Amino acid sequence: MIDKLEDYYTELHTSVKKGDLWTRLSLLIMGIGYIVRGQIIKGILITLAEIGFFTFTFGFSMHYILKLSTLGTVQREEHLDLVTLTKTVNDYDNSLMILLCGIIGILMILAFLHLYIVNIKKVYKIQLRKENGKHINSFYEDVKSLLGKKFYIVLLALPSLGVIVINIIPIIFMACIAFTNYDIDHQPPTYLFTWVGFDNFKSLVTLGDSTTVTFGYVFIRILIWTILWAFFSTITSYFGGIFLAKLINDRNTKWKKMWRTLFVIAITIPQFVTLLLIGKMFGDFGIVNSFCESIGLTKLLVKIGVLNASSTCIPFLSSPGWIHIMVILINLWIGVPYQMLSATGILMNIPKEQLESAKIDGASDMQIFWKITMPYMLFVTGPSLITAFIANLNNFNVIYLLTSDYVTANMQFANSNAKESDLLITWLFTLTNDYSNYKIASVIGICVFIICSVLTIITFRKMIYGGREEDFQR
Amino acid sequence: MKTKSDNHVLRHVFLGILAAIWLLPILWLLVTSLSAYKGINTMSFFPQKWSFDNYVQLFARPDTVANFPAWFKNSMLIGTFTCIISTAFVLMVAYAMSCMRFDGRKSLMTFSMVLGMFPGVLSMIAVYFVMKLMGLTNSITGLIVIYSAGSGLGYLICKGFFDTIPASMRESARIEGANELRIFIKVIIPLSKPIVVYTVINAFLAPWMDFVMAKLMIRSKDPSDWTVAMGLYNLVQKNLVGDYFSLFCAGGIIVSIPISILFVLMQRFYVDGITGGAVKG
Repeated sequence: MIDKLEDYYTELHTSVKKGDLWTRLSLLIMGIGYIVRGQIIKGILITLAEIGFFTFTFGFSMHYILKLSTLGTVQREEHLDLVTLTKTVNDYDNSLMILLCGIIGILMILAFLHLYIVNIKKVYKIQLRKENGKHINSFYEDVKSLLGKKFYIVLLALPSLGVIVINIIPIIFMACIAFTNYDIDHQPPTYLFTWVGFDNFKSLVTLGDSTTVTFGYVFIRILIWTILWAFFSTITSYFGGIFLAKLINDRNTKWKKMWRTLFVIAITIPQFVTLLLIGKMFGDFGIVNSFCESIGLTKLLVKIGVLNASSTCIPFLSSPGWIHIMVILINLWIGVPYQMLSATGILMNIPKEQLESAKIDGASDMQIFWKITMPYMLFVTGPSLITAFIANLNNFNVIYLLTSDYVTANMQFANSNAKESDLLITWLFTLTNDYSNYKIASVIGICVFIICSVLTIITFRKMIYGGREEDFQR
Repeated sequence: MKTKSDNHVLRHVFLGILAAIWLLPILWLLVTSLSAYKGINTMSFFPQKWSFDNYVQLFARPDTVANFPAWFKNSMLIGTFTCIISTAFVLMVAYAMSCMRFDGRKSLMTFSMVLGMFPGVLSMIAVYFVMKLMGLTNSITGLIVIYSAGSGLGYLICKGFFDTIPASMRESARIEGANELRIFIKVIIPLSKPIVVYTVINAFLAPWMDFVMAKLMIRSKDPSDWTVAMGLYNLVQKNLVGDYFSLFCAGGIIVSIPISILFVLMQRFYVDGITGGAVKG
């Protein structure tokens, strides 16, 4: 890593030092080195790009970059002119625009700097080629190489641009918000927000008493529940799926295809439809409750003390504890068919010889399952199990759609705009969408990101750096 | 021998019970969509009075809260364009990552993986501000950009598939003078039909399923600007659910039919895709 960085700069150094007049002039006008050596179109294009960059930076983004350190100082003031009755607004600062355009401006500068350095080196290389009398590519040949060895540039250009606009800029932006006081009291354009350092992180880890609004208590409760949820929902649907796949694919089971299709139907209905529907079914006055009452289950639960005497219904989705168990169970309904499908594929791929020889050696069905099938399944599905765990950490749909009617009775949670059933991700959504508390939401987002990315890197390092990806290309 | 045949019966009965649990909510969705009563039926599973009116209302009588034809048109537009753009993006990135070798490829892959782990919900509000800067909020174009622009990150399964295509096929095409563009379009894509179908269907379905992003981006109060998911979600909110629940069910059935068909088509590829990618772990 450091070697590479060193090369990067020594190369730059020699390029500038040993370059001739034209190469050095390229430090100023980037395209000139190409033009004098015959690559006229390329030279003009690069110079145009340079001009474009400078007009963008000094005509637009510099204005915002300079204000980044304070995020603006002039608050918006409306002035009503009593004579003409027209409103005039002063030349105010918009912290949001300053931050966003500042980030875009800085990214542009960084990208330009990199291109600038690469450009100098290239110009120097062309100078060397010219001196040694080697061939210099024409514009047509350059274009041709873009479809050949350099085709990846063409392929990756547009998708990368999309990712930068939709993923990278928003992520940097939100990461910055975590260090500001951007909330409902500091909303642009009317008000300014500014940098506050680590204050938001501190308020997430400090446990105050119940009179002050601290997010610490709720944060820890929700963090624990999020991890528990991800663990149990992943494990239950994983084993549920394998169990179901074994059951259906057993040679004693008839009509295999029909069974499989029946379960798959359940996942073909969009989740927002089924989840909202099931949420209504298990509501306090929903159909499941009427059914439980008519068969006397509600009374029975009151009698054995599971419910208190005054309750008239089973609070499936309206009391903590119940709601936690119910969302895991309902997630089983969503998750098992998926797992069943992928487990079916894997079970069919188990090497037949191993199973046969185990049978000949007199192993029982159970022994074969635990000693051969399961280890194979775990080996094959290990990475996808972690992916599923991460997906469940961020399982927005199930929690949000099922618990949207639930109102918490716990003041601590209510003060923090959360409920017991929230995951970090749904809490974050409520904070931003309903309460405009962007600063705390960003801090939560950063925590989720750290948890997820550590898990991902551990899992996939092997896959990418293990060098096994070409095994199957032979 | 007797215990064994008992076992067989038990096994099928058990499967039957499980299947019933999985199908009950869907059956309820179907029968409620055929109910003459508009609210939630809490007392009995089947409606007291049957009627086909919900479906008629859905298509023929759009009102101030439920404008299904407009929702369907919007979702269809978004789905189609998203599908074209994201399929192209995914295939392009997968080809670059799988079949070409260049500096920084592995670090780019790690980077994209980490990026993909960032909770989308978090950056959502920032995406909203970026879109606002470009003047694309409240529009279908904006939603298409949001659903498709980042799709290049989802190339992994597709790359896994490309990895299994023998490199010798590319080599021989290269010797015959084909450039990478030709190899990509004439050699790799035709060999990857399953994964192309999988990508196309997935890309088409994503906007139909999502309602959070749509809700955030489209702030318009006019139902004719909404997508199917947004509109249906709105119908079961507290103040509307009493009058529109069976209509919600009918809408749910209507969207589910094309999605189910696509899904059944995709099922084979789904299994292939997952296992194809997983075996390499």
